[in-house]
Amino acid sequence: MSAYIQISNVQKSFAGTARQIEALKDVNLEVQAGEFMCLVGPSGCGKSTLVFIVAGLVTASAGAVHVGGMQVTDPDPDRTVVFQGDAVFPWMTVAQNVGYGLQQTNTPKQEQEAIVTHLIELVGLSGFRDAYPKELSGGMKKRVDLARAYATDPTVLLMDEPFGALDAITKEKMQVDLMQLSVTETDRQRTVLFVTHDLEEAIFLADRVAVMTSRPGTIQVVLDIPFERPRDASVKLTHEFQELRGQIRELLINEEEDEF
Amino acid sequence: MAETPGSSEQDLIQKSSRGRLVSNEALVSLVTVLLAVVIWYYLTDSFIDKLFFPSPMDTVLVVGRMEGVLVGYFFATLYRVVVGMLAGAILGVLCGIAMSWNKWINSILDPLIEALRPIPAVALIPFFILWFGIGDTGKLILTALGGFTVMVVTTLEAIKHVSPIYIMAARTLGANRLTIYRTVILPAITPPLIGGMRVTVALSFALVIASEFMGAQSGLGYMIMLARRTLQTDAILVGVIIIGITSWIVDRMVRVIGNYLTRWAPRSD
Repeated sequence: MSAYIQISNVQKSFAGTARQIEALKDVNLEVQAGEFMCLVGPSGCGKSTLVFIVAGLVTASAGAVHVGGMQVTDPDPDRTVVFQGDAVFPWMTVAQNVGYGLQQTNTPKQEQEAIVTHLIELVGLSGFRDAYPKELSGGMKKRVDLARAYATDPTVLLMDEPFGALDAITKEKMQVDLMQLSVTETDRQRTVLFVTHDLEEAIFLADRVAVMTSRPGTIQVVLDIPFERPRDASVKLTHEFQELRGQIRELLINEEEDEF
Repeated sequence: MAETPGSSEQDLIQKSSRGRLVSNEALVSLVTVLLAVVIWYYLTDSFIDKLFFPSPMDTVLVVGRMEGVLVGYFFATLYRVVVGMLAGAILGVLCGIAMSWNKWINSILDPLIEALRPIPAVALIPFFILWFGIGDTGKLILTALGGFTVMVVTTLEAIKHVSPIYIMAARTLGANRLTIYRTVILPAITPPLIGGMRVTVALSFALVIASEFMGAQSGLGYMIMLARRTLQTDAILVGVIIIGITSWIVDRMVRVIGNYLTRWAPRSD
């Protein structure tokens, strides 16, 4: 059986100011259906670019990405993205933001209503349905973003350092909530590709962690994370967890040194 | 003694000033205005010759004397400003959107707009009088032209600065290009467009008055020009004051509508 997300020999180079910049080189990665895969790597290794290629927002210079057997050429509401920055539309209310994708996919009005209400409740923003994002904190906005990405019930959820800008406590809470969400979704096994530079976050959330090299980025190694899901935050304190963290850290530090 | 919350001296002062009909700040501004009128009165009563600057009394009296004519002139000017301004602004925004939508439209229109932009519209008034006479047509087109240039540039700049993250988010959620323009770009550029609209209001008044100076048979600019020839400084001043107040009110309306349209935008007060 082939993987749900199949990244084959993907290359990406950009035209820089002085010369061609090679961002990704020979990237091969397989993510199984329903798997939670985290992507870690040194800064500037092209991990965000790789996720944008899977999303269909960026075109690879060579190679191909297949999702569910179909080659990715354009964005599709079946592959939604939670961005690192604040991507919640400030001119729409919470409910309008969450319902945005449903409106594009021509979901019947009544169904839209039900999904939006359910998701807003799920991310704990029931009292803020008609609030504009300016009235929300950074963490709450991320919840809106998350609900919006879930609304079209995508088979693939792409997350590009979604919690990178949050404070430590909010971030941990979001991670736990995401963990809860990932196991309650029994109706359909969602495949998640999650970019982060936070190793604890990666090990806590992922079934497998793919470690990238520095630019031009390629997959260095893919590690299995053995902890049973759902996990709670206490798993971070176990010896095994910390050992994994040390192992990945070692891999990344060697990469950073190579740059000089 | 423990202080109960909400009863400190600071709190009481704030509460009492909030309860008042007029805030302290507004009261100070009112005093400034009154003081200015008083100084004006004394200066025109003693040092300044009425030939050069009218007294407050003369200014008020001239309004009563000219009443009927004044109202007619006022509406003639207001009509030219509002219609010219709106036509120019709407065309400017549409043109800016069309230019960002399609690179060919951009290639066709950009050199024309770039050639037009550095020319102050007032410099074209002699041509407009030659072509369209001294009626409304020329003045409307001139005013529209001024508003058009401001708004087309504002629109293009605003679209260039829409954060790409919003466009990417919309694309991943299944929005097509037209939907992105309607639901992302248009709302995102509204705040800078309001700013451009306020510039357009001021410019439109200037253009209408200037074109009424150069050739007209009605309007406040025409009235000022007539009064200048007969040295009626009180009538000149009345014209100037009415233009000032009207321009302020129109600007205020744009601000109120703008604040409503951008009620979602975070503001620093």
